Amino acid sequence: MSVLAEKVVHRRRQRFRGSLVIGLVLLGLFLLASAAPGWLAPYDPLAFDMSAILKPPSALHPFGTDNFGRDILSRLIWAAHIDLAIALFTTVFPVVFGTIVGAFVGYYGGWLDMLFGRVVDLVVTFPFLVIVITIVSVLGPGLLNMFIAVSVVGWVFYARLMRAEVMTQKQADYAAAGRVLGYGQLRIIFRHLLPNCIGSIIVYWMTDMALGILLGSSLGYLGLGAQPPTAEWGVLVADGKNFLNTGWWISFFPGIAIVLTGLGFSLLGDGIADRLRRGR
Amino acid sequence: MAAAAPLLSVSDLRVSIAAGGGRWMLVDGVSLQVGAGEVLGLVGESGSGKSLTLRSIVRLVRPPLQVAGEVRWRGVNLLELPESQLNAVRGREIAVIFQEPMTALNPVLTVGEQIRESLYAHSGLDGPAIRKRAIALLDHVGIPAARARIDDYPHQFSGGMRQRAMIAIALAAEPKLLLADEPTTALDVTIQDQILKLILRLKAELGMSVVLVTHDLGVIAQSCDRVAVMYAGRIVEQAPVAMLLREPRHAYTRGLLDSVPLAGHARRPLRPIAGAPPAPSDRPGGCSFAPRCGYATDGCRIASPPLIEVGRDHLSACLHHQRVAAEAARP
Repeated sequence: MSVLAEKVVHRRRQRFRGSLVIGLVLLGLFLLASAAPGWLAPYDPLAFDMSAILKPPSALHPFGTDNFGRDILSRLIWAAHIDLAIALFTTVFPVVFGTIVGAFVGYYGGWLDMLFGRVVDLVVTFPFLVIVITIVSVLGPGLLNMFIAVSVVGWVFYARLMRAEVMTQKQADYAAAGRVLGYGQLRIIFRHLLPNCIGSIIVYWMTDMALGILLGSSLGYLGLGAQPPTAEWGVLVADGKNFLNTGWWISFFPGIAIVLTGLGFSLLGDGIADRLRRGR
Repeated sequence: MAAAAPLLSVSDLRVSIAAGGGRWMLVDGVSLQVGAGEVLGLVGESGSGKSLTLRSIVRLVRPPLQVAGEVRWRGVNLLELPESQLNAVRGREIAVIFQEPMTALNPVLTVGEQIRESLYAHSGLDGPAIRKRAIALLDHVGIPAARARIDDYPHQFSGGMRQRAMIAIALAAEPKLLLADEPTTALDVTIQDQILKLILRLKAELGMSVVLVTHDLGVIAQSCDRVAVMYAGRIVEQAPVAMLLREPRHAYTRGLLDSVPLAGHARRPLRPIAGAPPAPSDRPGGCSFAPRCGYATDGCRIASPPLIEVGRDHLSACLHHQRVAAEAARP
């Protein structure tokens, strides 16, 4: 019985380590690519090579070339920093702003909570992608406008999560203890409650970064995000859509890159969540 | 300082909640005084309103609960004080320790950080002096190897140590009044005794007053000067502890004493009080204890008996206090 239990515990620990480590390795790989693209990429991502048009993967061009003879691997590597930047900038404002708003709403409740509830209703009524596309098409295509559009909508989800966490945590005796020690409300919210609530925000953030990349790629594919000739994975996938029969590799490898980054963030989020649970 | 004004004076405190179309009184007109250096015990069953009374004193009661009445601390009514001035009293002059040391410490900050935060807020110390003082405090409340343990997190402490740490945090500002909400209930008996002795020792050293909420008469007997017995949201009897234990003058107190074994007395069968306390929503018209009381007469069911002086320093809200006292005095 206890041997079995030990085995189960052991296996669980193994799995947790796995997801954290694999996530870190995957993201580390892409971070490296985005930090030093010139050093890793074998070719200039924008250079045409008319002698090597639509070449399938080979030793010379591991991921093949596109219809202008540009090396797919190099374009993929040069695109990494744009996609990681998308992951970061589609989420950083929502995380910060949403967390702060959620903390206040959760702590004070009352009419603030009512107001917040209506705002949430307003935002979640529209499908996320539809509202983002609407905002981008009003502001005009481009990365910056995409960040704005996602931020306008995205903070609500963090705020909702934070509100729920704070509402449970503020019932705890240590919050009451802080109050009877004469600490100010801001101190209690930000020093005492927030660190106890931030775990789930971080986990959600990781998943959200994966979604951010998907969204950035989707909008890039639709022509609303990064603009050609900027190499962005969604744009790269879109580049290949007319050659799916003759040059599958043009869309395939950027697609794989998107999947792997998303997987990296998800695994990292899982790993952190597991760690936080064990720490409790 | 003869007959000085009491440090804390609670009068006609009422805590109520609106539910199901009515307004139910959870604490119903509690009045009590605490003098300088005095230990007042508040004893009663679960749900008698003793913890609520304590928490109302420092305004820890949140809506939908509503508090009315007066809580005078050195003459100032705390219930009407603006938050900023209240915060100057909380922690610095009045400190609170809670029942569950498990949840009353912030799990993500080290014990040292939490003591230092309290010191920083109230003592005016800073820099290395604050750390030294924090270690001294932890040592003072009886944590062995305080210097090594100060950077531990609460989950690395045992239950008794956590309660000690909480006491260190509460007493960092050397308050004048300590409100202790069942501080020993979550601990095992030997640790209970140590924590009580610690509180009494610190009380003597700092010249504090203490209000001790508990449901344990043993704790009361061991540590209090005066006792107020609560039942169904009211104080039903109040007296110096020795007098109350020797000569209870309320049928409920009598019942409480009969239901616990007392060391040093002849062995006798324990007599539990039959029934359960009434819910706030269906308290009887007269004395709340009447339905469970062996002394009850028709008079008890008509009107709630007032809390009156029945002896020197002895208040009781029982119509039959003389009969109760006479029977208790019999060997």
